[in-house]
Amino acid sequence: MTEHVSIRLASERVNHCVSSSNDTPRFYTPGEVISGMQDFMRGHGTYVEEDCLKSSVAGVMQKVNKLICVRPLKSRYVGEIGDVVVGRVLEVQQKRWKVETNSRLDSVLQLSSVNLPGGELRRRSAEDEQMMRKHLKEGDLISAEVQSVFTDGSLSLHTRSLKYGKLAQGVLVKVFPSLIKRRKNHFHNLPCGVSMIIGNNGFIWISPKPQGMMVDGNEDEIINYEMQPVDSTDREIIARLKNCIAALVASKMMLDDTSIMFAFEESLKYEEVKELLDPEAMLDIAFLTQHRLNNIMEE
Amino acid sequence: MAGVLLSRTEKVFIIDGVKDEYRSDGRSTIDYRPMELETNVVSHASGSARLRLANTDILVGIKTEIDVPKPDKPALGKIDFFVDCSANATPEFEGRGGEQLANSISNMMQRAYQSPQAFDLKQLCIFEGKQCWKLYVDILILECGGNLCDAVSLAVKAALFNTKIPFVKAALMDGGNIDLQLSDDPYDSKLLDVGSAPLLVTLCKIGNKCVVDPTAEEEKCSSVSLIVGVTGNRKYYSDDDTEELPAFQPKCSAISMHGPGSITTTTLRNAINQGIIAAVCLDEALGKTVVRERRDIEKFKRHSYGFLK
Amino acid sequence: MPGPDLLSSQGLRLDGRRPNELRRIRCKLGVFTQPDGSAYLEQGNTKVLAAVYGPHQASKSKRSETVVVNCQYSMATFSTGERKNRPRGDRKSQEMSLHLRQALTAAIKTELYPRSQIDIYIEVLQADGGAYCASVNAATLALVDAGVPLRAYVCACTASMAWQDGDPAPLLDVGHVEEAAGGVVLTVASLPSTGSIALMEMSHRLHSDYFESVLSRAMQGCRDIEVNIT
Repeated sequence: MTEHVSIRLASERVNHCVSSSNDTPRFYTPGEVISGMQDFMRGHGTYVEEDCLKSSVAGVMQKVNKLICVRPLKSRYVGEIGDVVVGRVLEVQQKRWKVETNSRLDSVLQLSSVNLPGGELRRRSAEDEQMMRKHLKEGDLISAEVQSVFTDGSLSLHTRSLKYGKLAQGVLVKVFPSLIKRRKNHFHNLPCGVSMIIGNNGFIWISPKPQGMMVDGNEDEIINYEMQPVDSTDREIIARLKNCIAALVASKMMLDDTSIMFAFEESLKYEEVKELLDPEAMLDIAFLTQHRLNNIMEE
Repeated sequence: MAGVLLSRTEKVFIIDGVKDEYRSDGRSTIDYRPMELETNVVSHASGSARLRLANTDILVGIKTEIDVPKPDKPALGKIDFFVDCSANATPEFEGRGGEQLANSISNMMQRAYQSPQAFDLKQLCIFEGKQCWKLYVDILILECGGNLCDAVSLAVKAALFNTKIPFVKAALMDGGNIDLQLSDDPYDSKLLDVGSAPLLVTLCKIGNKCVVDPTAEEEKCSSVSLIVGVTGNRKYYSDDDTEELPAFQPKCSAISMHGPGSITTTTLRNAINQGIIAAVCLDEALGKTVVRERRDIEKFKRHSYGFLK
Repeated sequence: MPGPDLLSSQGLRLDGRRPNELRRIRCKLGVFTQPDGSAYLEQGNTKVLAAVYGPHQASKSKRSETVVVNCQYSMATFSTGERKNRPRGDRKSQEMSLHLRQALTAAIKTELYPRSQIDIYIEVLQADGGAYCASVNAATLALVDAGVPLRAYVCACTASMAWQDGDPAPLLDVGHVEEAAGGVVLTVASLPSTGSIALMEMSHRLHSDYFESVLSRAMQGCRDIEVNIT
């Protein structure tokens, strides 16, 4: 029985930079003039002062026709309608749940925008209001879709689809929302045998593949199902994926199912998952993943 | 501890993982996460160290002052621990929010260092009964990602290893008062003997097993945790290998329990043994690292990395 | 009022700098993973860490139409030559927190985020003169790192006054020794790209004739810092 302890010196620190092939785009910083002209529309991350359009954040400019936005490199999650998010219930209120989604204000999940057990077409009674805590309680994780954005920027969510709802066993990995690549699909059943939800808000949920639908079972069966221990192969894959994501994040690489799968495949040469906690191994994986991504781009 | 919220199913996942000896980042119950250490980072302090364990970040600065020894222990110096939970770590620590946690850690450190077999306070004595050194060990918690106690004790030991105490050049007796003349030359100073200084090991009881180096999430799943202070081995901290040292036997210098749960005596005994094994490994790794750093500095002038790069 | 000799006969200062020279500034963004934004800044031997949390939901009592900026300034107990007993809560650090808030609120586009709050925490690891300035500069960088919209960078700088052969020679970026010598210290926090001043503070007396020149030197310092950290 040996313990694994490693203490390195700061002088041996690993530099996590992985150079990507594309050129670095023009970078704007707060107060910098983007354009002196009037015929532009002011978007997010910009403001007008003395007839000049200036940037208010540090980031990259995006131009759609006449609309100019500057997207910061790192910020809280700014929701858009239709985004898939993973969130955590903070508070049960009357007729709604408060959900933490890493955005500026807490998001709201109305009682009227969830599927209650017993089917879609059902009137929501006063009893349902009292049962809210039984359905989702503080600390529970959910996957949901952004239904609308209020004027103050807070989000309203809904889970009115079978793919959304309460999450059972698994691991949550939090990353910066700006590292998530927007894709058509954010629900992935990975070939390695586990499923993953890459929330647009930077919350990534990794869990064992569901063994069939559990929607029509009664409460007790669902709870029993949720409490089943996860078998050890799934557990190892989940741990490996988690560490791969951490490696990519340390090198500030964009995350989507392709890059995560590449990293996973590259990581297989490290037999023990805990070896991936080592900074050198992390850099190695990020580097190899970037290399493979570049190859795809060229093809 | 910092406000980590977990759902019931996430807890089940973690607890089952510990049962299988396979934690959510692939470690077994006895593995530590990689750490990074740098000493001599604060130039205003006599000794300092910064330790980063995953995202737990600890900065320790040690200041020395001349003080009068306690009348009942005239030949001993003094050592005082102070922990500050910076609000940088979490907004909950703002104002006095972190005080309770800070006090519990500093009390634990104080207790672990009290035993003369753990840390010899005689080396801090200048003039018996009249004057002694007082070490102020100031611990700053900059970020917490679980396992604060272990990280704090490692950083403190590294900082003590790095501490330089100026030599006393002359002492003038003037009636009952003593006037000391200290050496101004920073190289003209002595190092402390810290080889036996204790390290703390936190054992988190999750399910029926105990894990070392818990993450913040794992700490949330455990009802009770045991902190063991174990004395270190001088062998790992001496520069020349030839020196004859007495056979080493790790000793517990402090034990305490935290949390609302309870432990059976068998689990307790196993946990203490596990803690001692872990402490010996930690001690060896730390000793090798600090000695290596000192040799590196002797060989070529190194610049400080600190928080840059 | 010829103060102590802050300038040598060659026109150099105690630490060898010229009167209009800044200390070396080094910084790094994103040093921590937990906060939304963090920065580390070294200005000579003054070393400061800043962390930004937010914008996030404000507590119920604090909600307003604009974002609530919450600052806390704290000094490590080992940061100064003499050990400090308390890291925060004393009158000086409370005043510092207030001044920080004032300077940073001027730069943050507060109207964008109703009902939210931004927490800015400063930890001084080593104080060697100009701790306030380094804190402002570090906080600005941390805000940039967190992606909080700003009108412009806020930069702060100190200036003092010395005499060389009877001529006034304003000093830039005052170090601890010069601060302790008891001369005038003028602290300015400004938005250099617009040229406006967010905060100004002065200690000791200074003839109003020289005020302009000292102020302009401090402003110049702010601009230099801006160039440095962008």
